[in-house]
Amino acid sequence: MKCIVPVIALFAMLAPGASAQTTDPATKELIEKLLSRIDSLEKRVAELEKGTVAATAAATPAPVKAAQPSAAQAVHMSHEAAPVPQAATPETAPPVYPVLKIEGFGDLDFSATNLHGTAGGFGAQTLLAPHSGFEEGQFTLHFSSALSPKVTVFGETTLTARSDAGTGTPPAPGFNAEVERIIVRYDLNDYFKLSFGRYHTPINYWNTAFHHGQWLQTTISRPEMTQFGGSFIPVHFVGTLVEGETPAGGLNLNYDFGLGNGRGQVLSRGGDFSDINNNRAWLTNLFIKPDALYGLQLGGSVYHDSLNPLNAPAAREWIQSGHIVWQKETPEFIAEFANVSHQPVSGGPTSNSQAFYVQTAYRLPWFQKLWKPYYRFELIHVPRSDAIFRSVVPDFHASTAGIRYDITTFAAFKFEYRHYVRRDGPGIFGFFGQTSFTF
Amino acid sequence: MNTIKGTFSRRAALVMALSAVCFPGSSAPQGTDIAIVVRPDLPVDNLSFAELRRLFLGDRQYWTSNLRVTLLVRAPGARERDVVLKDIYQMSEAQFKQYWIAKVFRAEAASGPRIVYSNEMAAELVAAMPGAVSFVEADQVPKGLKVIKINGLLPGQKDYPLH
Repeated sequence: MKCIVPVIALFAMLAPGASAQTTDPATKELIEKLLSRIDSLEKRVAELEKGTVAATAAATPAPVKAAQPSAAQAVHMSHEAAPVPQAATPETAPPVYPVLKIEGFGDLDFSATNLHGTAGGFGAQTLLAPHSGFEEGQFTLHFSSALSPKVTVFGETTLTARSDAGTGTPPAPGFNAEVERIIVRYDLNDYFKLSFGRYHTPINYWNTAFHHGQWLQTTISRPEMTQFGGSFIPVHFVGTLVEGETPAGGLNLNYDFGLGNGRGQVLSRGGDFSDINNNRAWLTNLFIKPDALYGLQLGGSVYHDSLNPLNAPAAREWIQSGHIVWQKETPEFIAEFANVSHQPVSGGPTSNSQAFYVQTAYRLPWFQKLWKPYYRFELIHVPRSDAIFRSVVPDFHASTAGIRYDITTFAAFKFEYRHYVRRDGPGIFGFFGQTSFTF
Repeated sequence: MNTIKGTFSRRAALVMALSAVCFPGSSAPQGTDIAIVVRPDLPVDNLSFAELRRLFLGDRQYWTSNLRVTLLVRAPGARERDVVLKDIYQMSEAQFKQYWIAKVFRAEAASGPRIVYSNEMAAELVAAMPGAVSFVEADQVPKGLKVIKINGLLPGQKDYPLH
């Protein structure tokens, strides 16, 4: 950049006014100085070229530009797409495995509600607490590691603040550590990928789109039907999945077929340590992303399991769900529906519980596009005849209105107001705040 | 006087050359088509625009069962990147970064695209890595690389979609 100064000066002189021939001795002197400077620069360039040639002759690989990272230093995109040099291996050298990458997510929350007592059935992450205050959300670490070009391991662990995670009596606040996901996947090609592990059950959109990355989702919390710690759908699934994608004439059909342990005796928990019966859960999930409507995703799922809950009779569970999503931000639109059927094994009527939510948001075109207001309506209906759900899943409908402000590309503030109308309890309203980020 | 005038004429070309060195960005022609480049031995010559989008979105990850796609993307600030974000991804810079963070977090990809800092670097890596695909200004495609047709069109042809 040192050469900018003489260049600018010369530009000024070459301009019409300056190029008029003048006999002004001062100008003449300046010109001579600049010409002399150019001569010295020319000499310097020649010397450098000479040096480069010599260096090139000495080095076997192709010359590398000094001012730019070399091809060998090409890097996978970091958060800022900043250069994070890899080992300076030759360009054609095979990659060294495993290649581990770690990303983190975190959030800190504030809640103030009119709740006096416990909010029965709502997941812990819904932030419905009887006292206002700050809450440490989740500290999430995500690992991805390529073991070979076709084999990859993914992991997600969380540290979650809880009121009863500490030891002693009475239970003290502390943190729960959890392996949320651990997946090893073998890719045959785009059409067939086989994996084993602990997943977020791929039977609805939100559960597999945002995982524990609060920063990724527009709102502060998940819809209750797919809430962590909630019981409406099985959030986790331990077993095996076959997945893939086929163009299907521009529809881009994606599929998941899964077989694994069903829910645990505590319905909100997966079968991490074997199944609780000899009937595996299975699932089928299909969705399309049509080329003609870039941004649209449309899909549905079926899930089946046999339940042996702690405080309810054994039952067969069927879940049918569907979703429609417009993945852009002007507007953003997510809607999901799920029906959960419970058929008591001992006989008796089948009960059906339903849940849905509709969420929309819009990234405003002003203020550097940093603001995104949003609204969500959600509903869960549990008939009193559903012995499995009636004591652990709340029957309610709720509205959430809020705004998200992206303070940087990788951190956001969110503020929202929620109002819950419950069938079996007084209404709840509250204000919530969150800062969430990735690192 | 004539000497000085002659010197100015002689030096004018040098000044232009120096300015081109000092301000390389300013010399990039606006509106030049962007070429999609791969190794000549890649068994693909033509992609529809939708297929190209799926490739760049990381939805299509294999050329063939034994050949994985390696996506090379210019660092922020390059016009080529701006064109690809606008025409293929239809995303802002922030949305693009968030997209790939989410993609990896969802276990849909082991990593995001590799970042390259110049067309020369992109070309060098594409030539060296089987399955690599990148994009460069059409008038800067180096010898030895294959330009993929988009919707049957090469850069410079009418209705070519990337410019």
